[in-house]
Amino acid sequence: MKKKLLPIVLCVALLLSVFSLAGCQKADDNDVADGPTGDVSDNGGDDAGQDTPEPVNISFMGWGNDAEVATFQAMIDQYEERYGNVEVEYIVVPNTEFDTKLQAMIGAGEQPDAFYCGVDYLMKYASTDNLYDMTDYIADNDIFDPGNVWDCAINLYRYDGQNMQQGQVYAVPKDVSVFPIVYNKDLFAEAGVTPPTEDAPWDWNDYVAAAKKLTSGEGDSKIYGSGAYSLESAVWSNGADWLDETLTEVTVDDPAFVEALQWVADLRLVEGVAPTVAESDSLSDYDRFKQGKLAMVGSGTWSFADFWENCDFEWDVMNWPVSPNTGETAIWFGSAGLAVAATTEHPEEACNLVSFLAFNEEAQRTSYTTGMSFPLLKDMAQDEYMEMDKAPESKDVLFDILNDNARLATQSKTFNQEWFAEFNANVPAVFNGETTAEEFCTSIKDTLQELLDKSIELKAEYAGS
Amino acid sequence: MKKKSKLERREHTAGLLMISPSLIYFLVFFLLPIGVCLYAGFTNWNMLSPNRVFVGFRNFVELFNDEKFWKALVNTLYMLIPIPIYLTISLLFAYACHKNVPGEKVFRTIYYLPYISSIVALVLIWQWLFNSEFGLVNNFLSTFGIEGPNWLNDPVWTKRMIVIMISWKHIGFISIYYIAALNSIPKPCYEAAQIDGASPIQQFFRITIPLITPTTFFLVTMGIIGSLQTFVEPQLFAPDGGRGYGVATVIFYIWQKAFDSSQMGYACATAVVFGILIMLMTILQFRLSKKWVYGGE
Repeated sequence: MKKKLLPIVLCVALLLSVFSLAGCQKADDNDVADGPTGDVSDNGGDDAGQDTPEPVNISFMGWGNDAEVATFQAMIDQYEERYGNVEVEYIVVPNTEFDTKLQAMIGAGEQPDAFYCGVDYLMKYASTDNLYDMTDYIADNDIFDPGNVWDCAINLYRYDGQNMQQGQVYAVPKDVSVFPIVYNKDLFAEAGVTPPTEDAPWDWNDYVAAAKKLTSGEGDSKIYGSGAYSLESAVWSNGADWLDETLTEVTVDDPAFVEALQWVADLRLVEGVAPTVAESDSLSDYDRFKQGKLAMVGSGTWSFADFWENCDFEWDVMNWPVSPNTGETAIWFGSAGLAVAATTEHPEEACNLVSFLAFNEEAQRTSYTTGMSFPLLKDMAQDEYMEMDKAPESKDVLFDILNDNARLATQSKTFNQEWFAEFNANVPAVFNGETTAEEFCTSIKDTLQELLDKSIELKAEYAGS
Repeated sequence: MKKKSKLERREHTAGLLMISPSLIYFLVFFLLPIGVCLYAGFTNWNMLSPNRVFVGFRNFVELFNDEKFWKALVNTLYMLIPIPIYLTISLLFAYACHKNVPGEKVFRTIYYLPYISSIVALVLIWQWLFNSEFGLVNNFLSTFGIEGPNWLNDPVWTKRMIVIMISWKHIGFISIYYIAALNSIPKPCYEAAQIDGASPIQQFFRITIPLITPTTFFLVTMGIIGSLQTFVEPQLFAPDGGRGYGVATVIFYIWQKAFDSSQMGYACATAVVFGILIMLMTILQFRLSKKWVYGGE
């Protein structure tokens, strides 16, 4: 009898260890960061008028660098203090893996109650019924007043089953970032260039002339007047776009589009005022600007913290030049949102959490004073933010852009972005001078159209209705 | 039918129990997922939506018509190039090291390190080494008057860089296999050859290399299976697949389709096709092995 016992015990032990190891694997995937106030859950906090004393656990998943994670953790702690019975599990996932991980969790039926939702992904998740419809909650809640939030920001997260920016609200913006041209005031003064103002804006020719004056030097001491110009700004300012209004046809062969693309490429190839593609590959325009070797670069409000810390020169912001053909200018603006899962068991708590994180005043204040973003609350933006004693001085430019010139990027309005990725993967050939804008656009149009058609088919198939 | 004695049956049961953990593990974590993948390849499974519909061969037809897949396949075959490179270098290295060289164990450890280092850390370092303007590699080349290429952004050179990186990573690890193989060659073989007047070089080519062919066969087969599945390096160096999709491999293509485009069913179909391809190559290997492997079946 004894002889048989040992092998049987060994087998059972092996089996158990195999299955318990499998269980361990799942837990390791979550970087759980519980707030220090996690244990203070049952003091019956009724400040918000909630009548649910039983403890609620919700999970919240997001990404961010250390500063952002710390800020969010602090805000979650504040939320937990206010709603004593709710405990939040904060899961941090690197930005590059976020979408993959979220999809895997949805596929397994284990999605977090609340999570970051990039505006590019909103349609994908909303049309497949994965997001909770927050429209009613927004109209009637005790955390914020929807009238005090930038309309363009809330509209970003609307979807009516066909198009973005109209219909029901599926997420709240956690920030809105403006993308002005940031310029080096010291270099401008040295070269004798006067920046544009609202009454005297620049057009493309003024921009090139200024960039030429600002470009100097050779080799290691070379200073470039301009960085890579935003293709979106050039194209939209010139009255063109990648797709037509119905988002079903690729319009990159529109002469206005081709002209804009060639103009952007020529900044490098003909005028020599912007770094070549190889130079940008090895040292990004953004880093070159911080080192004082590039005078004008497009950059978002999220980079202000970096500039405050790392630029040892004076800088300010300006609006994008108008196209000489239309007299108009446009630029994209970005946003990340916070969404609630459609299948959540605690919609009220989850909605409260995301609104709290997105709109509560303390959180917004922390966010803009640390240079992470632009305030979402109109009154805060117009009062405190304007009076903040830090660069940029011309904060009104940011308001102008947000109010008049900012547009949601075209690729964010389609079900997937494969067509745009294809364009971007191949457009460096134009910037390198290997092909002209016209040749490129004519040759790639059909491929882009195929990919766009495919994404429309996919949407029809997966979105059911 | 032979009736099994009670003792035989007991031994049988004991045997089955012994292997049951491995068997169950294999069934649950390998066979079952493969089965699901095979089935999913015939559906339009999308991670986000619960609608899953059988679509027959549609995914496979689409796959064969997709230019990106064929580009990725060519790039994947390019990833086979490191194999002869690192096998040769490892063999030479092992040959130099296997005869009780002083500090042998220290060398072995140092050369083994790249294989077990985190790929992400390695990629970060290599990105700086190969930076076209500031990297050490191009600086070194410029001392000879050679203008270094744009390693990180020109897809042709990025692939070559990945080949170098993979070869470097494997050298220490493969040397260990070869050191063991070299030490297992019976000394009398060499002595007999020496008596017959063979020079060291002749000994190397006529005795050493043929006698280690079983190890070489193992390394080549495993190497092919592994290299064809290269994914991490292309994904980290060229997250969009490189210009003109010049760096993407098949596994990268599968990952993109599964998660960026959410087309899980299609990705499964691709995985099935690719899996069959690898299997066919391996079977071919085994067939050919009779011709060149010493003592092969």
